[in-house]
Amino acid sequence: MAAKPIPQQVLYCPVCSLPAEYCEYGPDFEKCKPWLIKNAPELYPELAKEAADKTAEQLEGLEVSSASKSQGSTSDSKPEEVKKLPGGKVKKKEKPEVVVEKVVRNKRKCVTIIKGLDMFGVKLSDASKKLGKKFASGASVVKGPTEKEQIDVQGDIMYDIVEFITETWTNVPESAIYFMEEGRKVPATA
Amino acid sequence: MFKKFTSEEISAQNQVKASVQRKIRQSISEEYPDLEPILDELLPKKSPLIVAKCQNHINLVVVNNVPLFFNVRDGPYMPTLRLLHQYPSIMKMLRVDRGAIKFVLAGANIMCPGLTSAGGALDEEVPAEAPVAIMAEGKQHALAIGYTKMSAKDIKSINKGIGVDNMHYLNDGLWKTLHLD
Ligand SMILES: [Zn+2]
Repeated sequence: MAAKPIPQQVLYCPVCSLPAEYCEYGPDFEKCKPWLIKNAPELYPELAKEAADKTAEQLEGLEVSSASKSQGSTSDSKPEEVKKLPGGKVKKKEKPEVVVEKVVRNKRKCVTIIKGLDMFGVKLSDASKKLGKKFASGASVVKGPTEKEQIDVQGDIMYDIVEFITETWTNVPESAIYFMEEGRKVPATA
Repeated sequence: MFKKFTSEEISAQNQVKASVQRKIRQSISEEYPDLEPILDELLPKKSPLIVAKCQNHINLVVVNNVPLFFNVRDGPYMPTLRLLHQYPSIMKMLRVDRGAIKFVLAGANIMCPGLTSAGGALDEEVPAEAPVAIMAEGKQHALAIGYTKMSAKDIKSINKGIGVDNMHYLNDGLWKTLHLD
């Protein structure tokens, strides 16, 4: 006989009653946000950023970043720090970059977020299709927290992404690709 | 189906006879064998089992005022989403892509392309006319309970039209009905 199943605990949002991960589709996402920032930061890492710094310069590039489940709060990165960070590149504001970030959405699933390809004249819907095909995964263009569009790819593709980007879109130099790691932007070419 | 459901549309709530209770238990345990070990807790033999009759031939199976299962006429019993969330592995799953989520949550039936696209996923074992959990790309928990109109294989090969009827979804009337008084 089958083992006795153990009931799972689901994090329901007290504001809209839905599982917290569906708040974004609920009747009033804005109202859920304060609760989500406190209680489900790992589901909506972009909210903490949004709240922490509304005036932040949008990271204009492709960022790849990784966050693990135990570090749910790493996403409240300080944009200041990011700007000064690696290689002493100060003029990032004008420079097109691609930033890749891995976000763990819940216990095991993660999403790799790619921002900034559009700055290199890449059509995001095409890019999304290519990424989905290449990594046999779900890829979609979504509105990011700063109203800019980004590509979300299901799964962890950090490993191959740089090679894929530079080979597919040859006008994107490797040096313009960054990973977001624990809230910090680091060059993909280490 | 439960889009505008409220407890007011329940026409009758009846405690069922022991023989009917046994039948209900049996069909639930046949449909969801993984639930069998806890069926005594879910549907305690000693607590009265209530069947609430609603519009459109929908029946709710209610224990201690909490709706746990529903069916249409004498079709298969399906768990409420709240129950499924606790025991997610009892049902076969189909996954819709991210783009389909908002339509499913508005009550739309599930179109084949939403299941066959890159973000979707099909369990090829799923036959036609089967209860299934509808999952979503990038999400951990089910957002709807569906009843397949065609088999997963047909959904894949035909890839047109409605593949799965949307029976119950997050934030519909049944979701909002936590308790029946
Ligand atoms: Zn909410």
